Amino acid sequence: MHRLVSTDHKNIGILYCVSAFVFFLVGGSLAEVMRTELMEPSRQVVSNETYNTLFTIHGTVMIFLFVAPFATGLANYFIPLQIGAPDMAFPRLNLTSFYFYIGAGVLVLLAGVAAAGQAAAMGWTAYPPLSEIRLSPGVGPDLWILGLVLVVISNVLNGVNILTTVFLMRAPGMTMWRLPVFTWNMVVVAILGLVAFPPAAAALTLLLIGRRLGGLVYDAAAGGDPTIYQHLFWFLGHPEVYILILPFFGVITEIIPVFSRKPLFGYTGFLLATLTIGMLSTGVWAHHMFTTGVIDNPFFAAMTLLIAVPTGVKFFNWIGSMWGGKIWLAVPMLFSIGFMLNFLIGGVTGVMLASPALDYQAHDTYFVVAHFHYTMLGGSVFGIFAAIYFWFPKMTGVMLSEKLGRVVFAMLLVGFNLTFWPQFVLGQRGMPRRYVDYASGLGYDTPNFVSTIGAYLMGVAVAVFLVDVWRSLRRRTPAGDDPWGGYSLEWATSSPPPEHNFDELPKIRSLRPAFDREHPELAP
Amino acid sequence: MRVATRYFVLLFLFASVAGIVYWFITYEAVGTILLLAFACTPAIIAVFAIRHGSMSGRRPEDDAEADPATEAGEVLGPFPAETVWPIFLVLGTIVTGASLVYGLILVPVGAALLVWAVLGFTRESRG
Amino acid sequence: MRRGRLVFTISACVAAVLLVGACSGSFGMPRGASEQAQETFQNWQIFFIAAIPVAGIVYVLIAWSIVRYRRRRSDPPGALGSQRTENLPAEIVYTAVPVVIVVALFVLAIRTDDRVTAISPDPDLVVRVEAFAWGWRFTYPDGETVVSPPSGEDAAEPVMMLPHGETIRISLTSNDTIHAFWVPEFLYKHDAIPGRTFEFDVTPTEMGTFQGHCAEFCGLNHAYMNFEVQVVSRQDFDAWLGQQERVAA
Repeated sequence: MHRLVSTDHKNIGILYCVSAFVFFLVGGSLAEVMRTELMEPSRQVVSNETYNTLFTIHGTVMIFLFVAPFATGLANYFIPLQIGAPDMAFPRLNLTSFYFYIGAGVLVLLAGVAAAGQAAAMGWTAYPPLSEIRLSPGVGPDLWILGLVLVVISNVLNGVNILTTVFLMRAPGMTMWRLPVFTWNMVVVAILGLVAFPPAAAALTLLLIGRRLGGLVYDAAAGGDPTIYQHLFWFLGHPEVYILILPFFGVITEIIPVFSRKPLFGYTGFLLATLTIGMLSTGVWAHHMFTTGVIDNPFFAAMTLLIAVPTGVKFFNWIGSMWGGKIWLAVPMLFSIGFMLNFLIGGVTGVMLASPALDYQAHDTYFVVAHFHYTMLGGSVFGIFAAIYFWFPKMTGVMLSEKLGRVVFAMLLVGFNLTFWPQFVLGQRGMPRRYVDYASGLGYDTPNFVSTIGAYLMGVAVAVFLVDVWRSLRRRTPAGDDPWGGYSLEWATSSPPPEHNFDELPKIRSLRPAFDREHPELAP
Repeated sequence: MRVATRYFVLLFLFASVAGIVYWFITYEAVGTILLLAFACTPAIIAVFAIRHGSMSGRRPEDDAEADPATEAGEVLGPFPAETVWPIFLVLGTIVTGASLVYGLILVPVGAALLVWAVLGFTRESRG
Repeated sequence: MRRGRLVFTISACVAAVLLVGACSGSFGMPRGASEQAQETFQNWQIFFIAAIPVAGIVYVLIAWSIVRYRRRRSDPPGALGSQRTENLPAEIVYTAVPVVIVVALFVLAIRTDDRVTAISPDPDLVVRVEAFAWGWRFTYPDGETVVSPPSGEDAAEPVMMLPHGETIRISLTSNDTIHAFWVPEFLYKHDAIPGRTFEFDVTPTEMGTFQGHCAEFCGLNHAYMNFEVQVVSRQDFDAWLGQQERVAA
């Protein structure tokens, strides 16, 4: 009971992470059903209606109820520790953000299970006119909209909390230029959230007003314009994907130097790249609208290609951090390497999509589905597993199994690529997305079959992971304060930390205060 | 706060320039308004920070040579331990929002929950 | 050394796969059955070819780091790597080169976009395409139309007949929600938005039958809103047109 009402940031962080993982299991199960439906042409596991609801809820859950909140959980747990503070700036607001997230989750799930004909089935992007009342009658979409509005509130409050904490509660000597990269990335994420979420709230509110109060903003026949929604939605939508990836750029940037026994290569350059990404990400939104004919394609092609540069530069920071090191392929490092391998493909295909002509072919096809799964699953979710294997010992005081961790990693890497690489092929061959079925003989059969096998393999990998967590919590192999030789302040206290976080703070003279304390001969 | 304030100023400049450039390239209203409105948020924060002198004055966290021992024992303020009011705040919000779907009858219920939650929060702050 | 050989073998296999794909030249994209599609196809080839060394270099560097700088059993416990954190020349190069690449890609992308979306002042044929949930209506200049039969999983697909080698103006709109007109072999799609009409040109260079799909989620039967484009000679086209129903304008 205490866990549900405690305002301690560590407790809230765990609440977020556990809830988010539960939503991952929900979203993943929906995906397994979809892949089963698509395994063969003309296979009918679910009705058309149900299938449309499945991908609507899958997308919403994975983006807003899993990846982002998991990052929020990590941020809540580790930002105060990394900056040497006793808690977040606004502990009750923190708990409030969490409950807004849970409320949102309940609403979205309700939207999915509403009675036939009423469930939300308009896609997680919910474009009007399809999402308007005439074409989507029923309460599902309204509950979904309400849920997302709660997500917006949760994120904005959380962003305020993160920024205030980092700006005003750092320990003495922890200048902004010594902040761990994870914390810096969360600062940019928080700023993006503050800026980008309100337009989405506007888009959704206008949609709700249109549905329930007779509003006509998106109604072409009445002089309105459905593409306004797309502008408002994607003004959030694109920064949202950076909100989803930046925390995990931060996570693997914490992990790679530690497991290479080297300092981070090019900290300043990395930060500048992150700040640039944050800035530019607000100017690329309409590359989701290249085929609408209502926007200036060259402007957005330019901005989108530009943002590839700071994103790509980071790869050299990571490689530079490994070069000349003493690399220890523990499980967190394996997942970080997997992240790099996968995200590279996601990024390169993103550059392809930045060319309007190529987007005319690939938009709304499985090529795009593959692209964003390479960044969000191959990237963010691999980052999530890296974070779990890295920080679980700190949060629980107990080690996870190296052996099982390797198994999880291998199955996830193979399963993931088996699932999504064929989808690039599917898209180019002509299979659109959000299709419940496809005709045989068009070349879609084999890639779909292979993709489903990969999805099942991923499901097994997650099951093995859950087994690992359960066994590790029972076996209780003690982790100690610092099982990895970590660099940032969270490794300078016990596992788990005491309620006030630190009995004694080490002197902070560099990016690696915990490491400096262990290696005074190298300290600056 | 100096670094942060500078970033906010940079964001304001970027969004303003992008918005203006965007208008003259595309003459598209929605995107222009979004970019220029986006410019306002960091501007507000930056102006506030500059006027309240957060840019000046050396705080211990900005001092590269500071020692945690110098600030040991500093009282930051009370940290609340437990609170139930967030749950009621969220319930109140959901019920009020749901009135759009399930009928205005829910408005008084939702509003009552919200008011009760806000009162609870406030009383809790007063200690 | 064994590990090094393993890495080399894996890299060689991956390279072989890529090369096979490369030799077919298309890297998975249809070669395109229209003049406009040739531009898109070339764009795709160049972007793909540019991606190979970029991805290749990064993958090789990652693999090499792991192999060369792996912690060895012979290392003392707690051994540290090089503590170097900066290399300004390298940092400048690896920032500047991507900028140059990106600028080049931008110029190419815009040139291609201009050519693909260029519309002729004097098309040979104008076909009005209306998308609706869940089918298509194709209307030819003298009012002849082809309309989808009632939709569903086994519904026949309406056929849009086009004459080979001529510049066809497609005038596209939607009657209800947003749909999208996509012919994968033309390497082009465009959204059909209610209240707006979009125009684009297609100049088919090959005769044959090409699959068409709706490519913007539009509800229950989105997956069954397919159509066919048949490109035939002018004579066959005229003959076919004469047989279509005429609907008063």
